[in-house]
Amino acid sequence: MRIKLTSVMVADQARALRFYTEVLGFRKKLDLPVGEYRWITVVSPEGPGDVELALEPGAHPAAKAFQEAMFSDGIPIAAFEVSDVAAEFDRLKKQGVAFTREPTPAGPVTIAILSDTCGNLIQLYQPA
Amino acid sequence: MLLAPDVFRRLCRARDLLQRDPEPDASPSVADVARGAGISPYHFIRQFEAVFGLTPHRLRTRSRLDRARLLLAEGRLSVTDVCMEVGFSSLGSFSDLFARRVGEPPSSYRRRARSMVSVPGRAPRDLFPGCLSLMARLPPSAFRNSGEAAPGSL
Repeated sequence: MRIKLTSVMVADQARALRFYTEVLGFRKKLDLPVGEYRWITVVSPEGPGDVELALEPGAHPAAKAFQEAMFSDGIPIAAFEVSDVAAEFDRLKKQGVAFTREPTPAGPVTIAILSDTCGNLIQLYQPA
Repeated sequence: MLLAPDVFRRLCRARDLLQRDPEPDASPSVADVARGAGISPYHFIRQFEAVFGLTPHRLRTRSRLDRARLLLAEGRLSVTDVCMEVGFSSLGSFSDLFARRVGEPPSSYRRRARSMVSVPGRAPRDLFPGCLSLMARLPPSAFRNSGEAAPGSL
């Protein structure tokens, strides 16, 4: 059994694809129409190239309710490892990204938390 | 931008207000919501859009259209009743907006939803897919490079 696919629910798939590629810097892998939705996955240019993040439609009412509650409570739904969280913070702020937490030591890591504009808080973490 | 916790809380509260079921003639204006948040409308809209990806106005419209989809899928209300229920006063502008954002007119969306197997009065499950059910409708080429990754491969 292999971990090859993980996902985040997004309120708008088109906007999510733009944000996750043009702003966060992931690379689109798949973008296939499936009925009224799309199957969209991105990979990291830093590798590994066969581990994908799916940007799934959060259309189910229960999914929306869950997503909004986590967001309101400041709870990140996903976390991405970075080499330099301070540099990422500066770079992303310049692109207009909204952060709810600036780089902050948190146990073994330094974290920052941002909004992905599609209903999720995302945590960036840099191991010590 | 870096948002202080109280500002973030107020923006989330504003989002909740804008998405709440509209009371007749009592739907808050964007300016009202901004004032309630204690921020000037200019800054409010800027911060709101940075956080939610949409202006407050568009978020409210999206919320109304989402609710309309749910009500149309349940099949109990007519298109006209759904239009009024979600806070539009004009059937024409509701239908146009719905068709533009959803991709088909409300009448045809309702017909399609009712043709799906469902519990009467509940929205059909197929209308709200999760990740796994979408996967079943992909072509085989979508998983062409799967299998064991070669050691050290990108």
